[in-house]
Amino acid sequence: MRIVKRKNSGQLLIVAALAIAILISSTTAYVYEVSKGERNSQKQCSLNNYILAIKQTTRNTMISSLKNISNGGENTVLFNNLNTITEVLRNTYQFGTCNQNFTLLNNSNYNSGVWLSWNSNPGVSSTYANFTLKIYGVNLNAEVNYQVNVTTNLLAEGFYTPLENQEKFVNITCELYNEGEHALAKNITVYYENLGSWILVNNSNNLSIINYDNGTYSISFQANVSSSTVPVSLHVYDLREIFVQANITCNAS
Amino acid sequence: MKGENEGQIRIIEAFLASLIIFSSLIVSANLTVTQNQPENNYLESNGLQALIKLDSDGTLGRYIDERNWTAIRDSLNLVLPAGTSFNLTIYNEKGQLIGVVSNGGLNSENLVSIEYFCASQSSIFHCYILHLKLTVAAS
Repeated sequence: MRIVKRKNSGQLLIVAALAIAILISSTTAYVYEVSKGERNSQKQCSLNNYILAIKQTTRNTMISSLKNISNGGENTVLFNNLNTITEVLRNTYQFGTCNQNFTLLNNSNYNSGVWLSWNSNPGVSSTYANFTLKIYGVNLNAEVNYQVNVTTNLLAEGFYTPLENQEKFVNITCELYNEGEHALAKNITVYYENLGSWILVNNSNNLSIINYDNGTYSISFQANVSSSTVPVSLHVYDLREIFVQANITCNAS
Repeated sequence: MKGENEGQIRIIEAFLASLIIFSSLIVSANLTVTQNQPENNYLESNGLQALIKLDSDGTLGRYIDERNWTAIRDSLNLVLPAGTSFNLTIYNEKGQLIGVVSNGGLNSENLVSIEYFCASQSSIFHCYILHLKLTVAAS
């Protein structure tokens, strides 16, 4: 009885080829899936950067508005400027249609997003608004809520040392803040009141302003004031050229 | 008779095996071609971050207000990676062209385009739309 042995080498060859093909394809598919996750995170990072850019632009707009308002402009400047950037944003399309709405803060201090308090201590110049940014794209929808507060505070305290003939030597320490952080001043002007008139302090009053480079300033001058107190008004521009004023009353040390 | 057909069958089997492996290689090659995107994403990210950095303290808006194109070009050259060519076109809020800043010719390969909205901090408010095109200079 003859036994005929089947030759299966051809089938083995094809099966081996299939196995190699599956191995190559599965390895490539795995690498592709891993890199797809990395691409998605890069896209998210770009979107986050874009949102940061819009927030920065909004903040610059608030600074510009407060600079204008604190230097004599109308309070409506803030609303008008924010309206302008809202309209211009609608015409940009980096990731999709941008729609930003804003609400100006109104409370006991803020009126239409603006707070100016200059007849007190601390003096305050501030703007505050809430924003909702929506981005509609082909493959994404994003919504971000954020607030922008731009504030310049001036805090002062002082006293005087009596001299002869109603002359008084006045010492004042003031601190300037931007959004709660110490800030430097671009310009400081000092006035004192005598007999109902505000008088500019200059070199004839032996004016001295010491800058401690950390937002703290020491001011001293000599003035002839008939009253027992010396009202002083400090007019300061910070480095952003936002104006703030603080009024204090100096008593004898 | 059977022996004559055996050689033909071997050839067909070898051909099928080659076809299977070659097909898998073609599919793999097509998948890797689509992975050239990351380089463009890095360029776009660098460009956007460069503009954000220049605008963080209002410098970019101030330079545009002053029409100081030299300062803008020098600043971008400093902030962008070495070997990056750029072309920055600036429009006002009405869409009117204000200026163009460039540091050389752009090649058409791997060209990335970024749109950036900038507001100045000056007391007279201005806002601008910037179109920044970036490419890596050909070596």
